[in-house]
Amino acid sequence: MFHNRAEALALALPAAVFAAVVFLVPVGILLSEGFRSAGSWTLSAYADFFSHPINRTVFFRTLRLGATVTVVAAVIGYLAAYAIVSQSASSKGRMIGLVALPLMISPVARTYAWIVILGRTGIVNQTLISLGLSDGPVRLLFTETAVFIGLLQLFMPLMIISLVSALENLPRDAVPAARVLGANWFQVFWKIILPLTKEGLVIGGTLVFTGSMTAYITPAILGGSKVLMLETLLYQRVTVASDFVSASVIAFILISMSFAANLLLKRLATARSRR
Amino acid sequence: MLSRTMLVSATALMLTMGIARAEDKTLTISVYAFAQDEFKEIVYKPFEAKCGCKLVVETGNSVERLAKMEANKANPVIDMAVMSMADALAAARGGLIDKIDTARLSNHGKLYDIAKDPNGDGMSVGYTFYATSIIYRTDKMKITSWGDLLKDDIVSHIAFPNVTTNQGPPALYMLGKALGSDTPDLKAPIQAVGKKADKIVTFYVKSSQLVQLMQQEEIWATPIGRFSWAPFTKLGLPLAWATPKEGQTGGLNVMVLAKGSKKQDLALLLMDFWLSTEIQTKLAEKLVDSPVNAEVKVSDEVANNITYGEETAKSLKLIPSAVALDYRESWLSEWNAKVAQ
Repeated sequence: MFHNRAEALALALPAAVFAAVVFLVPVGILLSEGFRSAGSWTLSAYADFFSHPINRTVFFRTLRLGATVTVVAAVIGYLAAYAIVSQSASSKGRMIGLVALPLMISPVARTYAWIVILGRTGIVNQTLISLGLSDGPVRLLFTETAVFIGLLQLFMPLMIISLVSALENLPRDAVPAARVLGANWFQVFWKIILPLTKEGLVIGGTLVFTGSMTAYITPAILGGSKVLMLETLLYQRVTVASDFVSASVIAFILISMSFAANLLLKRLATARSRR
Repeated sequence: MLSRTMLVSATALMLTMGIARAEDKTLTISVYAFAQDEFKEIVYKPFEAKCGCKLVVETGNSVERLAKMEANKANPVIDMAVMSMADALAAARGGLIDKIDTARLSNHGKLYDIAKDPNGDGMSVGYTFYATSIIYRTDKMKITSWGDLLKDDIVSHIAFPNVTTNQGPPALYMLGKALGSDTPDLKAPIQAVGKKADKIVTFYVKSSQLVQLMQQEEIWATPIGRFSWAPFTKLGLPLAWATPKEGQTGGLNVMVLAKGSKKQDLALLLMDFWLSTEIQTKLAEKLVDSPVNAEVKVSDEVANNITYGEETAKSLKLIPSAVALDYRESWLSEWNAKVAQ
């Protein structure tokens, strides 16, 4: 597309300089706090962080919740995305619009809506009671389940849109051909769809995992502060303890986990396509 | 050519002097983001008209404010700031603020005693305060003590403030008093809350969510600051503001002078203006801030929606700033270990 490499680099330079100045340098300065002590470089802040059992519990809980949301979002996302790309062009546009619609609403408003839905007098409890499945209101709100539901709803559109984009590039005849040749739906997904849409899965998975790991307001409101997550811990360190070193450690862990998730997803996708 | 050069130089010099003069008359203040439209109308614009100066208003939370003051300690970029009394003590300990010459505040004598010198170090003056107590459904329960919150028939219908909120430590402090433990480490009340954590509906972080929870009947009682009370009165529910036997707690916000600011004269003028009976009355009438000026008189309707009166001011049991600062970290650790695992 470009006459030479230098031309391409020159065009990318303003954006690269902008990203470096307003993002990479400040983030670098912020994260370096966690590696410095008394003027020298050290990992003591990290050792100290992981030496506390509660921090380890919170770390694994955050990891588990982020991973669960990502896996469930991928499963539902594939079904929804496949249904969308199977529609006519006009229906597809409308359905993508519907999927994207929640992204235009503030995450705070979306989270508050769950308080109405999952509450004692909300639609879920009303349905359970009217169907005779429960004698009284079930405690759904302010539990880890509520946080999971809130995060899933918050980030699911990102997974669906990424997968729709990937599935649209899938050769039209690939799935029917596999079916004609005797593959069942699981084999079609595992051997045809997944390898050919891995980029969408990696992008969607990274966005959902990173979003779930770093969301603050949803765990804070729907978890009722009974479910301590890394991001709520980070908030505590900054706003209450003014402990910027620990906050920097947590921020580095969160960023590292997001990169690790991206690498892992890429590795898994690549491993599948090599087979 | 020479005359042209001189003309250009003279123009540049005059412009520079103009800018310098404008800068001399510019006061930078750092305040909470809350109710800025009202503050602009009641405080900022009238003050600018009075002093012939320009106010630059920065908004943010206390952490941002203190971090900015610390980062610019050598060359302050903020002249005057408002913050909680505990944060004012942190700023004083960090050498970020100067003593306030209260002799230059003509309205200082009109203030309630708790606002005159909240930390006892001469570094801050209170400009608003609030009571914290329990609101409850009168058709469901009767609250006469902070300890009632943990009773078996009540605890599963309450929201308790998270320790990270402004209401958290004061509510725990009063709960401790009810439990017969008055130690500043708050271990007893945190442990008591921890034992019932599964039953408590939520540990709220935003008081704005409480109105919805009360409306949906998720909760029947919760400790809140008086400034959050007004929206509850519009719910049409039988709600009351409790007067527990242990008393009410609360908080006080103060004004401070940045150390090394070259605009301290102007900052003192603004402080005095803010504390005047006229401005404090207007802020109270708009339900923005509860007045600390004892001369302020408001209607019963307004008084019911704010923290008002000398008797209330005298009765508030505030956590001393030194205790709040010195124990903040241990309260958090204890809370994370016992309540929010």
